[in-house]
Amino acid sequence: MSNLNIDLNRVGAKGALAEEADGKWGMVIDQDVCTGCQACVAACAMENNIPFVMEEDAAYGRTLHWIRIERFWEGEYPEVRTTPYQPMLCQQCGSAPCEPVCPVFASVHSQAQELNLQVYNRCIGTRYCANNCPYQVRTFNWRDYAIEPFHANDFDGQLVFPLHNQFNPDVTVRRRGIMEKCTFCIQRIHKAEDKAKSEGRAVEDGEFTTACAQACPTNAITFGLLDDSESLVSQLANHKHGYRHLEEMNTLPRITYLQEG
Amino acid sequence: MAVTSGYLGSEKANAEHHEEEHDPRESLMYDPRPRGEMNAMVMESMHTTSWKFWVVLGVLAFLVATCFFYAWGYMIAEGLGVAGVNRPAYWGVFLVNTVFWIGISHAGTFISAILRVMKAEFRRPFTRAAELMTTFGLIQAGASIFMHLGRVWLAYWMFPIPNERQLWPNFHSPLMWDLLAITTYVLGSTMYLFLPLIPDLAMARDRSTGWRKTFYRILALGFRGTEGEWRHLTTAMNIFAFAIIPVMFSVHTIVSWDFAMASRPGWSSTVFGPYFVLGALHSGMGAVAIVLVIMRATMKHMDYFIRKEHFDALGKLMMIVSFTYAYFFFNDYIVQWYGGDKWTDTLLHWLEEGPMAWMFYQMIAFNIVIPFLTLWNKRVRTTPWLLALIGGLINVGMYWERYIIVPVMLSINRMPFTWRLYEPGIEIYLTIGTFAMFLLFYMIASRLIPLIPVWEVQEGQMVHSLRKVGKAHVPTVSEFE
Amino acid sequence: MSDTTLMALFEDIDPASEAIDKLHEMGVTDDRLNVISGVPFTHKMLGRPHPWTNVARIALGGAAAGFLVGIFLNFGTPHLYDVRVGGQVLTPIPPGLIIIFEMTFLFALLSTFLGVFLDSFFPNYRPMEYVPEISDGKIGIFFKVPQDEQQKFTEIMNQMGAESVQPNEARQL
Repeated sequence: MSNLNIDLNRVGAKGALAEEADGKWGMVIDQDVCTGCQACVAACAMENNIPFVMEEDAAYGRTLHWIRIERFWEGEYPEVRTTPYQPMLCQQCGSAPCEPVCPVFASVHSQAQELNLQVYNRCIGTRYCANNCPYQVRTFNWRDYAIEPFHANDFDGQLVFPLHNQFNPDVTVRRRGIMEKCTFCIQRIHKAEDKAKSEGRAVEDGEFTTACAQACPTNAITFGLLDDSESLVSQLANHKHGYRHLEEMNTLPRITYLQEG
Repeated sequence: MAVTSGYLGSEKANAEHHEEEHDPRESLMYDPRPRGEMNAMVMESMHTTSWKFWVVLGVLAFLVATCFFYAWGYMIAEGLGVAGVNRPAYWGVFLVNTVFWIGISHAGTFISAILRVMKAEFRRPFTRAAELMTTFGLIQAGASIFMHLGRVWLAYWMFPIPNERQLWPNFHSPLMWDLLAITTYVLGSTMYLFLPLIPDLAMARDRSTGWRKTFYRILALGFRGTEGEWRHLTTAMNIFAFAIIPVMFSVHTIVSWDFAMASRPGWSSTVFGPYFVLGALHSGMGAVAIVLVIMRATMKHMDYFIRKEHFDALGKLMMIVSFTYAYFFFNDYIVQWYGGDKWTDTLLHWLEEGPMAWMFYQMIAFNIVIPFLTLWNKRVRTTPWLLALIGGLINVGMYWERYIIVPVMLSINRMPFTWRLYEPGIEIYLTIGTFAMFLLFYMIASRLIPLIPVWEVQEGQMVHSLRKVGKAHVPTVSEFE
Repeated sequence: MSDTTLMALFEDIDPASEAIDKLHEMGVTDDRLNVISGVPFTHKMLGRPHPWTNVARIALGGAAAGFLVGIFLNFGTPHLYDVRVGGQVLTPIPPGLIIIFEMTFLFALLSTFLGVFLDSFFPNYRPMEYVPEISDGKIGIFFKVPQDEQQKFTEIMNQMGAESVQPNEARQL
């Protein structure tokens, strides 16, 4: 028998380089303990300056949530069973389908953090990336929601937006016509990396976490470095209950879901 | 026994049969008129306008001002929220319009390039009418792409030019291929429209006065018809006829790749390229039929240039294209169906039973069933209003086909939580706007440039002759080259 | 002795080509003779030398330039600013083929069009020798003859079936 062990990097297989890369940030979501409380959704919106889109647009499928809690029913009434809650966010694919289709390099692969980046000020709004995302986690700014007069108070003819006071200064406010998505709270990653660098050490596991993981009351979300074998996230990622969404598409997602049974 | 009608060769049977048969002497190529007379006819057709023309022109101009410019401006100011696009149907009617108009534009190239290369003589009087559809259709396609952009004011970031951001566009992206292909096609087909027009512009220059004289004098570039000018022109037209065919195929193939490159159920299909090209020809041929019928009915002297034989030939083309379209349609769907992929299966069931099933069945009826049932009949083919009606139905069917491929197929994806129907919003007005603009441009052009390539018709009439074989007249064609 | 340009106008191709033959016999060389027509008659029909055209060469040059532009866009520009997308290599070949194809054809078509302009000296709005009847399908033969032989040539052309033979002056088209 001939030996068919092929070095995928040598043959240039798609995504092989990304899989080999160092410094991959990753996440594990334990669906068995998720209560579907939506705290992560709210925390994410606060952290990342995600505006409210209001009833009409939200009902029409234009919510701007970077993370959403999916819930399904199984069976026919009256024997209905709900499935475990499924938080869905950008899977930070190692070989992301959204990246190559962008004509202006607004969706790119970060070689430093091994993340899938969305560069807001490059985006011209073709929305191809969103169509090509098998997880449907990209959200589009259909209007200028941040300066929607509905959210404002009128002071002598001047609009004052009280919600602007809680904006996170580390994150851009996006205008209409551009695509956005979960960044794995890259502003927090940068902050931790900078701090560690100034102190001459590596980023420690559990030193910081993403807004969604921080807000989760049941600790269903774990965030950290995947290739650090000591980190909690890498140990959980190799748990026997772990699985990845749409793994067959070779997108190399960085998020592992845990579900028993 | 009394003479009964009906036996083979009886006088009556012969007479009946004779009506069906096409007398070659009735076709344009064997019914020559002096060039001067044809010139005068074409000039008169350009000068003649009735009050109805101006009323329609006014209505169209109003529609363009409101439904195109105002609506687009409003959408740019407000954001795409005023359109119907949502998650998961991130692409909607704008992309449907783009594909539709590029499809319309393919008919012009098919008729003026492929039929020219193949020396199909019936093409001669209406190459320009078809080629005009290419140029104006592509304008609408281009406009529709820009409408679809979230930040259209930054669209130039896609152009491969050195810029202050020091960032070149991403050539991995099918949209970049699309941009380059459509640019090539717009420029190529406009030049290809213009080259054979030069001698006709010179003709118009020689017989007009006033502002028209200035207009034609500038556009005719000083063409006189010397041997050298003809040689350069015919060489260039020959190069264009051959070179624009692969460009035409590439354009719609790449448009189809915008969909096929995405790994989505329903989209990820290797047959999309030729399927889209044939679909484009299908709607394009139907549109040419409509335009020719309107032209013949509303413009003076056009019944001399555009005859039953042309409708007959177009009808045959439409039928063949319809067969081929059915073949690709079947090929695409059966492979997807047989594959049994979970999501594709869901999508197919949803198409046949979901809320948009009426569209799916209308598409099959208009694109395949109706052309199959009608176009084999010569009487149908040679009845202008019927042919225009069938052409119109085909276009509706093809519009539905694109609608199913873009927003309807987008509704179903691998994340059932996001499944949602798409409802067009301001897209409806903008669609009306693009249609109005196309018709407006066409109406203005019909009174500004000679719609009949007179020199090509005369060239054709000179090389056609009737030979007597026994008692019948048999068409004979020689070549000029 | 100065030359005059005569223009003989013919209704049909047959007498026109005979007339060209006759002019050749009488010593009018091809470079002193020019034919204008409303339909592209070939040089064989007219009995004239093969007219030279650069259009095909210019088109080929354009195609070569476009090919290089395509190569530069796909295999050159990514190296100016290294951006990785979708686990693909920096300059993949299959999309490159598409870019090269489109650029080759774009430049070939543009240069073909330009070639017509260059070869025919378009646009040209100076006064030219012309009569409007040409676009009615008539054939005009211009030829230069010495001034004193003008009468002789006029008669011969009339015998050959010319509708009119006149000294022609340049006019605004």
